[in-house]
Amino acid sequence: MNKKKTAVFDGLLGDNTVLSSLMVISPVIMCGNTLENAIALIYAFSAITFFAVLLGSFVPRRLPYAAKIIINAVIASVVYIPVKSVAREFFPEVITNVGIYFPLLAVNSLIVVQSETRFYRMRRLSMTASLVFYILGFDAVMIVTAFIRELFAYGTIAGRLVDADTLISGLGLPFGGFIFLGLLCGLYRKLRSMSGRGGETGGDGNVSGN
Amino acid sequence: MFLVTELVTLLATNLILTQALGTSTLFIAAGNKKNLLWTAITITVFTSVGSGAAYIVNALLPDGLADLTLLFYTLIIGAIYVLLLTALYFAGSDSFETTRKYVHVSAFNCAVMGTLFTITDRADAYPPLNTFINFVLSGAEAGTGFILAAFILTAAYRKLNSAKVPASFRGFPAMLVYLGLISMAVYALR
Repeated sequence: MNKKKTAVFDGLLGDNTVLSSLMVISPVIMCGNTLENAIALIYAFSAITFFAVLLGSFVPRRLPYAAKIIINAVIASVVYIPVKSVAREFFPEVITNVGIYFPLLAVNSLIVVQSETRFYRMRRLSMTASLVFYILGFDAVMIVTAFIRELFAYGTIAGRLVDADTLISGLGLPFGGFIFLGLLCGLYRKLRSMSGRGGETGGDGNVSGN
Repeated sequence: MFLVTELVTLLATNLILTQALGTSTLFIAAGNKKNLLWTAITITVFTSVGSGAAYIVNALLPDGLADLTLLFYTLIIGAIYVLLLTALYFAGSDSFETTRKYVHVSAFNCAVMGTLFTITDRADAYPPLNTFINFVLSGAEAGTGFILAAFILTAAYRKLNSAKVPASFRGFPAMLVYLGLISMAVYALR
């Protein structure tokens, strides 16, 4: 029972989408440099992934693997349409800032790969709970990354100036995103090994694209 | 001199180093030279053919239906995915088990889809680029850029995974920091 519970919560800390499996890292690197961007991306990622994976679970399992992947991607692309319309109302400027990374969320690894290899092998209720924690895992990393990068790159928090003495402007740029995420990933592994959740080489080595 | 200029251009427009597209796919591929080569070739096929098809979609899709672009791009990639798998199956059913994994990894990832959107954005910003030939060539260039980034990562792969690197940073975290440093150098080139 305990093992089952851990598996459901895994996506948040134990097997974090970004830090452990290195999935969906491009939006974190490229757009996770301000809280405004982060909130819009969190909304889009959460809505698209949740509804696409849930709807995809009704696709017959007997179909060939490639057919299921294509159907999952098509479902996500359809879900993307209303999600974008809502985002246009609430985050009109951010959509322009985020650019191509907004539609790219619809072909993220949780939808096109992990859905088949992990989620659809679970019962629907456990799958839904597990999916929510995987999504929350991404959301948490996005918020932490955006908060720290915005503070130290621009000296602001959610666009409001704060009294930051040292600014590292490169942290707001793509290369700063790579380096910051690498350091965060290493720190996450260290903490995981200290808590006895896994070896220091961390994760499950299950990198699955995107 | 021409080659150096081309190499600099390829680096400066590299989708992985400048836009972080396809980074995780690169990490999977970099562990094995054979995987790396085949994944890169398959991604290049997807980006080249996909970009050509994206040009046609862009030309036919009315402006008012721009939100459907992603759906059509997904259908394009889906069609190439099926065609490539079918071609590989008929080309050699013995090796199909081995070769199909590259198609599965390459089909729906940010490197491919990101290329289609990036090329479309560039063409929107600079209309002379909005030609079929340019779309196909830009797609091929993006695939070549992926190969180049993969070789840059492969060069340091063993060292980044060696016992000399602290255990917590060994592998993916070190590779991310390494790509960050290369990306910084490329940023200076732009």
